[in-house]
Amino acid sequence: MVRSGSFHVDSSSASHRRTPSRTVTLGHIQPQAPSYRTVYCNDRESNQPVRFKGNSISTTKYNVFTFLPKGLFEQFRRIANIYFLGISCLSMTPISPVSPITNVAPLSMVLLVSLIKEAFEDWKRFQNDMSINNSTVEILQDQQWISIPWRKLQVGDIVKIKKDGFFPADILFLSSTNADGICYVETANLDGETNLKIRKALERTWDYLVPEKAYEFKGEIQCEQPNNSLYTFTGNLVAQKQTLPLSPDQLLLRGCSLRNTEYIVGAVVFTGHETKVMMNAMNAPSKRSTLEKKLDKLIITIFCVLVTMCLIGAIGCSIVTDREDKYLGLHKSDWEYRNGLMIGFFTFFTLVTLFSSIIPISLYVSIEMIKFIQSTQFINRDLNMYHAETNTPASARTSNLNEELGQVEYIFSDKTGTLTRNLMEFFKCSIGGISYGCGVTEIERGIAQRHGLKVQEEQRSTGAIREKGFNFDDPRLMRGAWRNEPNPDLCKELFRCLAICHTVLPEGDESPEKIVYQAASPDEAALVTAAKNFGFFFYRRTPTMVHVRESHVEKMGKIQDVAYEILNVLEFNSTRKRQSVVCRFPDGRLVLYCKGADNVIFERLGNGTDDIRKVTREHLEQFGSSGLRTLCLAYKDLNPETYDSWNEKFIQAKSALRDREKKLDEVAELIEKDLTLIGSTAIEDKLQEGVPTCIETLSRAGIKIWVLTGDKMETAINIAYACNLINNEMKQFVISSETDAIREAEERGDQVEIARVIKEEVKKELKKSLEEAQHSLNTVAGPKLSLVIDGKCLMYALDPSLRVMLLSLSLNCTSVVCCRVSPLQKAQVTSLVRKGAQKITLSIGDGANDVSMIQAAHVGIGISGMEGMQAVMASDFAIAQFRFLTDLLLVHGRWSYLRICKVVMYFFYKNLTFTLTQFWFTFRTGFSGQRFYDDWFQSLFNVVFTALPVIVLGLFEKDVSASLSKRYPELRASMRSRPKVPKK
Amino acid sequence: MSSNTPSSSAAAAAAGSVDPSAARRNSKRPKYSKFTQQELPACKPILTPGWVISTFLIISVIFIPLGVISLFASQDVVEIVDRYDTACIPPSDRANKVAYIQGAANKSCNRTLTVPKEMKQPIYVYYQLENFYQNHRRYVKSRSDSQLRSVKDENQIDACKPEDDFGGQPIVPCGLIAWSLFNDTYTLSRKNQPLAVNKKGIAWKSDKEHKFGKNVFPKNFQKGNITGGATLNPKIPLSEQEDLIVWMRTAALPTFRKLYGKIETDLHKGDTIEVNLQNNYNTYSFSGKKKLVLSTTSWLGGKNDFLGIAYLTVGGICFVLALAFTVMYLVKPRRLGDPTYLSWNRIPGGR
Repeated sequence: MVRSGSFHVDSSSASHRRTPSRTVTLGHIQPQAPSYRTVYCNDRESNQPVRFKGNSISTTKYNVFTFLPKGLFEQFRRIANIYFLGISCLSMTPISPVSPITNVAPLSMVLLVSLIKEAFEDWKRFQNDMSINNSTVEILQDQQWISIPWRKLQVGDIVKIKKDGFFPADILFLSSTNADGICYVETANLDGETNLKIRKALERTWDYLVPEKAYEFKGEIQCEQPNNSLYTFTGNLVAQKQTLPLSPDQLLLRGCSLRNTEYIVGAVVFTGHETKVMMNAMNAPSKRSTLEKKLDKLIITIFCVLVTMCLIGAIGCSIVTDREDKYLGLHKSDWEYRNGLMIGFFTFFTLVTLFSSIIPISLYVSIEMIKFIQSTQFINRDLNMYHAETNTPASARTSNLNEELGQVEYIFSDKTGTLTRNLMEFFKCSIGGISYGCGVTEIERGIAQRHGLKVQEEQRSTGAIREKGFNFDDPRLMRGAWRNEPNPDLCKELFRCLAICHTVLPEGDESPEKIVYQAASPDEAALVTAAKNFGFFFYRRTPTMVHVRESHVEKMGKIQDVAYEILNVLEFNSTRKRQSVVCRFPDGRLVLYCKGADNVIFERLGNGTDDIRKVTREHLEQFGSSGLRTLCLAYKDLNPETYDSWNEKFIQAKSALRDREKKLDEVAELIEKDLTLIGSTAIEDKLQEGVPTCIETLSRAGIKIWVLTGDKMETAINIAYACNLINNEMKQFVISSETDAIREAEERGDQVEIARVIKEEVKKELKKSLEEAQHSLNTVAGPKLSLVIDGKCLMYALDPSLRVMLLSLSLNCTSVVCCRVSPLQKAQVTSLVRKGAQKITLSIGDGANDVSMIQAAHVGIGISGMEGMQAVMASDFAIAQFRFLTDLLLVHGRWSYLRICKVVMYFFYKNLTFTLTQFWFTFRTGFSGQRFYDDWFQSLFNVVFTALPVIVLGLFEKDVSASLSKRYPELRASMRSRPKVPKK
Repeated sequence: MSSNTPSSSAAAAAAGSVDPSAARRNSKRPKYSKFTQQELPACKPILTPGWVISTFLIISVIFIPLGVISLFASQDVVEIVDRYDTACIPPSDRANKVAYIQGAANKSCNRTLTVPKEMKQPIYVYYQLENFYQNHRRYVKSRSDSQLRSVKDENQIDACKPEDDFGGQPIVPCGLIAWSLFNDTYTLSRKNQPLAVNKKGIAWKSDKEHKFGKNVFPKNFQKGNITGGATLNPKIPLSEQEDLIVWMRTAALPTFRKLYGKIETDLHKGDTIEVNLQNNYNTYSFSGKKKLVLSTTSWLGGKNDFLGIAYLTVGGICFVLALAFTVMYLVKPRRLGDPTYLSWNRIPGGR
């Protein structure tokens, strides 16, 4: 009942999940040790002594023997169950006024229900595991392909995987039916990206394709120990006395599937729980709602009441009975009536048993049941939260946080993909100091509207092309018109750079209309699409070549196919923030094309183009302020000698076993310098539908929204403006690391000094802002406040000494924008508010970089229906659109909170009346502890007789209708300020 | 517009509805039902002044007459209560009542009752005990139902301690309850004519037929050192020992009445009834009171004003509330649905 999500996860992704206990054990063997494993391919005997783990996986919590003890243990970790176990034991003794059935029956009923639920969930997991373990794979045995179940697969086996098949383990890619030893894999199960990835086998192993040949393959793989890093793999293949370096390119991961390739042959490297995907599997930390924690406190209070009642009874009994010890011949009875103290002692326990029903045994079970129905029937099936375009309904992946939604006070939102569509459209560009593109962004329009300016309707030139990823219109560049521009050469370089410098895969027919670009990010696809529309049509990629159909290059209207040889790809990563490609033109010219973030590129420019640089910088700022994402492009001609000497270093770094990444970065640094600036591109990042209205509604409901983004400050501020988060009436505090003082310190370059300067600056800024904030809060009707801070400053502001100041400043602000923040910082900010301010927080995001933030908040929400499953897998609720937050928080959350509160009150009410009658009766029976109710009545009162009304209340109670609570979001704020459950 | 390239229109078509049936098959769109959309019909009464005042009025209009009727019914019941526990002890022995009651002296005692009003038959004769905890946990469980029911189970005496056996032989009926059977007796006479008290048919029929066996005879009863109460005739089966059956149905509260018998003639106003009673039962050790009660019944049962008073109180409160709300509504009416009263429209500290 708790993890409702488990029923919706399809079989393949279910294998990623695992019980927490499992994760803990694996956590211990996290192999950071320098040792490596040696695998003898195609040789089971040699691998025997090492005892690699088998390929069968188990994600179940229990087995037949451990189910009862372990299941019961889990149940008795709940304090209420322990309490009832104690009471049941007491009721077996002669001091009990009630028959044991009174306490044993409800307890066993509650336990039975919970155990059946556990068993059912575990059975599902088991069946899932079995179907995975028993799916078949072909392995090489005696020169033949033989089908065996996955679980019998061993490290070192040679396997054959057919088209669309899943890889049963982590496999070293040896050969493929495709030419050039490549294959395509889909990694949707791992990272949710639907674009195909190329994997390339080592040239030496291309031949081992048919059984007869593959049988001869005897190699030794030396590679790292199993670890959970999906994107790294280092190792060597020792075959025929040659040592060949291995890279992630040769590793096919379990969980991925083969596409567009007839079949491949590979050697198993990691199996079962040692595969990377299984090492990665983890459960989101289980979250308990605040209400549930409050409930615990309430139960403890009630327990104290119980003890008091029993003490009163015990004292009363010892006085009464002691005084009238001859009463009704009791003096003749047993030893426990010897003196007042003894009588009191035993009566105390008698009364504990009698009054035990003051703590409602079925409370937890009923609440779980209510929440389960709420999440599976109401949230998951709400048509208002169904997104038709992506065919995604909302999904509550856990049911124990429903009412938490009704109490959220802070929302931490990612920008890209959450507030914005992550739908990138090529919008503008700047080439050689001239800005092209005459569109007006929605954000600009919004700003203009706020300034009261009339926005003129867009004038589209008649031939304008509009397609997914391309929303650019400027006759000066289209259809070869760029030839007449002042810098036709730079234009050409820009288009080539766009067409060559990327990692996009073309798919489908090689015509401009039908081709589909598979890209890692929509930015890349937009750029390649732009190149296509400018007449540089990238249509085919082979492992070494990029084919581009160029138009109008030599003269207007001429179309020619050009094949560029790709010599090196210096890939993009978050530290480099740039991507380069070294290519050789058909005429032998060697060129490095580089694209990346503006500051990174500007740092690496050569001398001489200062004016272009200055103008481009201005353009970049303009683009940024219209909410566009910018990239700078640059190129560099290489001479063959320098290239060759560099290439040697590159190959060396590439085959390094250790710290390969770092070495590659260092080598890249050597060649990515003295670049020539071409210009910049600007891509529009479209807002999601209904975001501004949703944000306005939520802020009327008293919820504060913080935007945490990795984007630039200007972009972030503009998105915040566009979303109504910030407006001109607000007082803005900007804490940026782009100040002169900090820049100066950075130029001096001493790390310690930089840190000191930034910290001082941040401290100064914070202090100043805080004073101003407090001043304006003290004045009547002062402006609302907003805070903008960037990642670098945030790093220092999160320092324990400044944290308090940051917190009190940001809590005074209606909206906060943090830009250029890392995933870790996102989580830090979230827990700052969660722990520091004791507020209920909600994080919403769509990408892998939001996972930590989603897990750090009280409630984590993932945006589903788009690329990337990681955020969803880590989340508690998944919705398709940001705007559905209105429904989720204002309708479902509000109602759930109201209902659960009422249910709890109802429970305590009915059990208090039930027990207090008993208590009153105790006074009338000489404190003897005689029961007032029939045994069966008492035992079934909670679990049967009064079970249904409570559940009905928990499902159907409404104070106002859904439409009213959306129309008047303030209702929610008023509900929150008046706690329904008494604070104790 | 001609700006659309073929590819984009194809993509649009793919995203849209190409094949409705296929789209429906793969759709994850939740099915509509009033339950899942939380649109089940519901009503929530709005407590307008009209509703509230009329509800209170209706309650008071119903309850006040009911209360009056109940009170009258209770008033009709004629009840004679005579406390005799102290009165029936000779003044010389009142210093030590327990010694007197445990002694061997003659416990005979005469009381005179005057009938205040006409009493129609049947007139019930009760004895009322006060401060007697027949509901005490150790007392209540000190019995053996199976033994009472059938001869076979006469050895089932585990619960009966300390009155379980006598010299190794089971006591029938065993236990503290039976042991402490009430043993005062009343002989009534009017104008020197004996007044018959019918002691048959005072027990519950179900008790006689199902709970007390026809072939279970008292055995070893009251043989112990201390005699608790009445003795039983070992020749009469338990199912016919109606005094025992009445006594064994333990009272819920420490003050209780138990039926002693029925007088099946009318008593007239001013009649004096002579009661000759044997004051045997020891309530003195725990300062319990003993009373003799003669009472008629009405359709509402015995004399009890509680129900009538309860009805009158609730009805009265409702009437007062209805009046108060009416006055408030007339003096200072408030517009319904006034948004200025909403929490977010109230400026903190203002207004």
